[in-house]
Amino acid sequence: MTAVIEVKNLTKRYRDTTAVDDISFTIERDAIYGLLGRNGAGKTTVMSILTAQNFPTAGDIRVFGESPYENAAVLSRMCFVRESQKYPDDATPTHAFRIARLFYPNWDQGVADRLIREFRLPMKTRIKKLSRGQLSAVGVIIGIAARAEVTFFDEPYLGLDAVARQIFYDRLLEDYAEHPRTIILSSHLIDEVANLLEKVLVIDAGRIIMDEDTESIRGRASTIVGETSVVEEFVAGREVIHRESLGRTTSATLLGALSPEDRTELSLAGLDVLPVSLQQLIVRQTQNAVHTDEGALR
Amino acid sequence: MNRTLNVVRMQLVNRATFIWVPLIVLGGTLAISLLIFGMLSTSAIDTTTMFGGGAQAPLWYFLAVGVQALTLSFPFSQAMSVTRREFYLGTLLTAALTSVGLAVIFVIGGLIEQATRGWGMNAYMFRLTWIWSQGPLVAGLFFAVVAMLFFVVGFFFATVYKRWGNLILTVLLIGLGLVLVGGLWVVGRMDAWGPVFTWFGSLTPIALTGALVLVIAALSAVSYGTLRRAIA
Repeated sequence: MTAVIEVKNLTKRYRDTTAVDDISFTIERDAIYGLLGRNGAGKTTVMSILTAQNFPTAGDIRVFGESPYENAAVLSRMCFVRESQKYPDDATPTHAFRIARLFYPNWDQGVADRLIREFRLPMKTRIKKLSRGQLSAVGVIIGIAARAEVTFFDEPYLGLDAVARQIFYDRLLEDYAEHPRTIILSSHLIDEVANLLEKVLVIDAGRIIMDEDTESIRGRASTIVGETSVVEEFVAGREVIHRESLGRTTSATLLGALSPEDRTELSLAGLDVLPVSLQQLIVRQTQNAVHTDEGALR
Repeated sequence: MNRTLNVVRMQLVNRATFIWVPLIVLGGTLAISLLIFGMLSTSAIDTTTMFGGGAQAPLWYFLAVGVQALTLSFPFSQAMSVTRREFYLGTLLTAALTSVGLAVIFVIGGLIEQATRGWGMNAYMFRLTWIWSQGPLVAGLFFAVVAMLFFVVGFFFATVYKRWGNLILTVLLIGLGLVLVGGLWVVGRMDAWGPVFTWFGSLTPIALTGALVLVIAALSAVSYGTLRRAIA
């Protein structure tokens, strides 16, 4: 695996807030990453710094081994359409795609045309008159059809209806299968995108709190359900990240993989094991991060 | 270089901003000016030569184009993975091309006025005596440079706004106003209005054109420095 993006000790401070706090990570070639986190966690800031649209306060960024700032050779291999992207005044989707075709060497007009049909995007309406969903569709179409080696999608589903969102996920996967590339999908709707993701970066309050393969995360936690006393006996001494009780039944979410012995013990005790969704796990982890950090908050 | 030329194409993809609206503005003012000239010439003063200032309307529009080229196209150019340098060069190139285009129309207008003795009414809006005093080529150069200046002024203030926001822009504008008033005060204080006017009167079109080119160069250079660290 080769790294296409390397970030070391990246920090971004605005006047009195730290949007990104000393983070380091690498992004490998030809994989779909989820950049997950709550609103305001720093997702857009990180992506805009990686594409040289914004400037770091401190830290080092390498994209394809070089600094991206004012580097046409590097930038032309990346595509980042913001969630709040502005377009030239009076531009229509036709204009926007015509321009995108000029700048993205791998632009595929066939893919764009198909997506335009599927999203039912009005091509002659000025972009500033489009609905939120149609505006997102313009960005999604540019992102997929550009076929840039590194493509960022910033909350791409905002305002898209369920059908359109599914079209986006399906077409993205199809196109990725045929033309592997690095895709970084920022999202706060984790369950919806969980099936697309191979790797997950979770950012919270400007820090990376999880940087792992989706598969390994899935096995990392499980929920044990059963009679309260039996559950408590089993989880004693283990790391419980969430606990809910209703009557005499308790469900406890455990961190850590279950060994075969654990599984035998669980089935003998009559306890059920439920998988934990990526979203649940991240929500719990993020909440825990908040609790343990409270003393450090200014 | 190719990407810089693509920025020109990006700016011109929507032809309304750079081409059709300036032409409509120009056509509109030409029509209005001719109507006014017509009304005046029928009222028995046709022996006098009339000069109209309508031609400056598209120039003012270039100020707005300079602002829009930055505030609206710069964020999109960033999404197209264009470097700030490519955006800057491509945008100024677009402005230069359209300025020259406008100047050519002005010179043609002036030549028509010359051939028709001011639309047959002794009325002129392109062939202004002083500007044409060194011939059509210098007049054309002058028009192109003035159009470019309007654009660059708009672009300059837009970069300041983009980089530092409304507050700093306002402070800058007030500061410039104060400097201007201060300059006027100094001239008055030194009782130098006579020499100043004489100096203005002695300026040739080509000399003023050269001076404006220097102003354009300075504003462009500062705009570039500002844009290099601007965030869309």
